[in-house]
Amino acid sequence: MAATLTAGAPARPRKRLASRRTRVGILYALPVVVYLLVLFVYPIFSTLLLSLKDADGSFTLHWYADALTGVNLSVLLTTLRISAETAVLSLVFGFVLAQAITRLKPILAGLAMLVVVVPHFVSALVRTYGWIIMLGDKGLVNETLTSMSVPGAPFQLLYNELGVVIGTTSMMLPYTVLLLYGVMRGVDRRLLAAASSMGAGKVTIFRRIYLPLVAPGLASAGLLSFILSLGYYITPALMGGPDQTMIATLINQQVTKENQWNGAAAQGVILLVLTLAGLLLVKVVTSLGASRKKRSAT
Amino acid sequence: MMELRKSLAGRIALTAVATVILLFLALPIVVILVTSFSNNAFASFPPETWTLNWYKALFADGSKWPAALSLSALIAALSTVFSLIIGVTAATALVRSELPLRSAVFALVLGPLVIPQIVTALGLFLFFEPAAMLGSPIAIALGHTVLASPIAVLILIATLRGIDERLEDAAASMGAGRLTIARKITFPLAAPGMIAAAIFSFITSFDEFYISQFLSSVDTVTLPVQVYNSLTFEIDPSVTAVSAILIAFAILALGLVALVRWIGSGRQESLLSVENTVGVANPGGEAV
Repeated sequence: MAATLTAGAPARPRKRLASRRTRVGILYALPVVVYLLVLFVYPIFSTLLLSLKDADGSFTLHWYADALTGVNLSVLLTTLRISAETAVLSLVFGFVLAQAITRLKPILAGLAMLVVVVPHFVSALVRTYGWIIMLGDKGLVNETLTSMSVPGAPFQLLYNELGVVIGTTSMMLPYTVLLLYGVMRGVDRRLLAAASSMGAGKVTIFRRIYLPLVAPGLASAGLLSFILSLGYYITPALMGGPDQTMIATLINQQVTKENQWNGAAAQGVILLVLTLAGLLLVKVVTSLGASRKKRSAT
Repeated sequence: MMELRKSLAGRIALTAVATVILLFLALPIVVILVTSFSNNAFASFPPETWTLNWYKALFADGSKWPAALSLSALIAALSTVFSLIIGVTAATALVRSELPLRSAVFALVLGPLVIPQIVTALGLFLFFEPAAMLGSPIAIALGHTVLASPIAVLILIATLRGIDERLEDAAASMGAGRLTIARKITFPLAAPGMIAAAIFSFITSFDEFYISQFLSSVDTVTLPVQVYNSLTFEIDPSVTAVSAILIAFAILALGLVALVRWIGSGRQESLLSVENTVGVANPGGEAV
């Protein structure tokens, strides 16, 4: 009797404490859950419903058919193309810059990171305007090129695809630099030293050891900047011409100018599906990378 | 990689390319700051003569900028308050309690950060339009909170994780009630994180464009929407001065966050310093 008492007594309060902690957790989680369910999940859900509804309220897929044919299809393809170009460029620039920063002295590296991070917190609208000033016929870039008497200067750098890609790349670059810097810092340098001690050349080490180790990070950084570019609106609208209309611009036009909500909803859903597919791919790549890292460490 | 391309030429080439990329990031901002003082406000660089006219024009009669600025500030203040309430409760639930479906809640919080903002904005437009709330500052603030609150939650999660829970336990063991612990231990230690969360929520709302544009009406034009309009429809040279002010705000805000963080890190250290001296006096003691 005494034994069961001493064994049972400490378990009970702990259990009560645990259930109290659960109740407190649910109570505190309520505001964020309710808020986002009402103002984030439900609106997206009703967008989905609207994209499947005809004018008389019956079920239809013709908004999707519209969105995937003619001009709308070419806008979708333009969006994918510009996003891909942006992803590749921001990946290459990000790789070089992150690589250079890992080799700097701590103080200089900190300063360089500041130059990477601060622009990210300046409104994209403002940075886009900065590019418009710089890339104009009499802007800094063309003036410099003309004074160096580069043949063909001044160039048309605005209101075409080059302008858009320059703009979007500079918006995505902070993301790729930060991601790749983290990945590069995580590379176990002893693996490189081991390869070198066994006689591997520099190129071999880079190709066979370093690149496979950072590859998952490269893939997810590239995918992420691709996904983020898909929904971009400000820079393509301000720095591009009519041929650089992206899907977000189209959604905006249909809502604010043409009152074509169903069509806009269908395009929003397409954008959403593309984004989610990309995120899934990021997840697959990161888990692949994690298993590879584990293997190389053992 | 250290061993790779050790040659001086390679190093110089890499440094040069890296410098160009850093310029690529910094120049658009520098150019705006310089041009805002230039006599020829459009697309001419470097400026030939200097002036403060664009800044003066901001506050001239009939200027749309003061109204846009105060509307944006009001909306940002509202959504900062909403985000902080949501952020503090959500971070407490996610870090300091046993929450069923915790990963689902966390995924919900991350949602607005990864879904294209234009999709969120479209959904909010369809949500507020039937309620005849388009153009209402409250609606815009509620919309901005969808984007700002996840950021506040993430910052506050990191803040709560960084607070040594043993300090709270120690206070409890000495008989402090839960309210006293929250007021005298947790709140002072979490204050820097809360200020950072508030600043980032404010910036997020202040700079937000997509939701503002979808939910705005002729009378409620936020600052970013006004900037966008004056870059597309009406040519207004004061936009350069506004942009320069926005840059100054952003840098100031980041500086403030850094300062608060620095002060905050000193505070917890001083509280924990007792423990550190114990560790020195008792080197064989259990390492925590």
